[in-house]
Amino acid sequence: MTKQKTLTVESLTDDNAVRLACTGNTEAFSYLYEQNVKRIYNYIYYRIGSGADAEDLTARVFHRAFAHINKYVEKGVPFTAWLYRIAHNLTANWYRDNNRRREVSLDDHFDLPHHGELPERTMEQNQEKELLLKAIRRLPADRQELILLKFLEDLSNGQIAVIMGRTEGAIKSLYHRSLISLREELKQISGIDNTSNY
Amino acid sequence: MEHGMEQPGVHSLWGLEERLSSLLEPVTPDPEFVESLKMKLSHTPAVLIETGRRKLGLLVVGIGLFAGALTLWLLRRRSD
Repeated sequence: MTKQKTLTVESLTDDNAVRLACTGNTEAFSYLYEQNVKRIYNYIYYRIGSGADAEDLTARVFHRAFAHINKYVEKGVPFTAWLYRIAHNLTANWYRDNNRRREVSLDDHFDLPHHGELPERTMEQNQEKELLLKAIRRLPADRQELILLKFLEDLSNGQIAVIMGRTEGAIKSLYHRSLISLREELKQISGIDNTSNY
Repeated sequence: MEHGMEQPGVHSLWGLEERLSSLLEPVTPDPEFVESLKMKLSHTPAVLIETGRRKLGLLVVGIGLFAGALTLWLLRRRSD
């Protein structure tokens, strides 16, 4: 590794890492990978609900990004937004290839993480979360994506608009409709579960 | 199921937002997976392996043109 290259890698930022990665600099791509791998994994995990498949798809996202990084520059959107687009497309392909129904069976469940809390509380929270995730996964793909970007990534409507390729106004409107749909799905699932919490 | 979802406000959109905020927390991917993928990426040559879709596309177009030309030729021949 040359002195110049070392200095470049040490001074990596989000902006220059992308430029360097486009020139085939693997250290720059590694930097971008480290900055984004958790959020992409999270996005995919919550979309499909399986840790093993989320790992597989996350790997595919970064392999594809690495192979097509020159195409990213042409589009001129933030790198993270571009990764989300790839993740979105691969998730859609995954559903298509696995011939999955959008509507999720109530027998499906997520491997939810534990946080060292009391078992009763953890179980309660996991049940609650599982119900919520089932309802989210019953929504159309764009609404799922919006909700996950909003609440997992804490992104603004403007940032989500860039990622989803829509206007900020359209995102605001879609967000409101998504919440209403989610509330309806929750009510429906609760009915199936013989609960009346909704 | 008598748990947190019956907390006040779930019926309202604001309450739903609150529950989403508190329940949708990021998960941490397996560090071994993260590290192994990083290693794979850093040892992958930046060469795009195409799956031959372009060639397949050209072949389909070529066959289509040939079939069209053949049909036209046959029709003209028949009308003569």
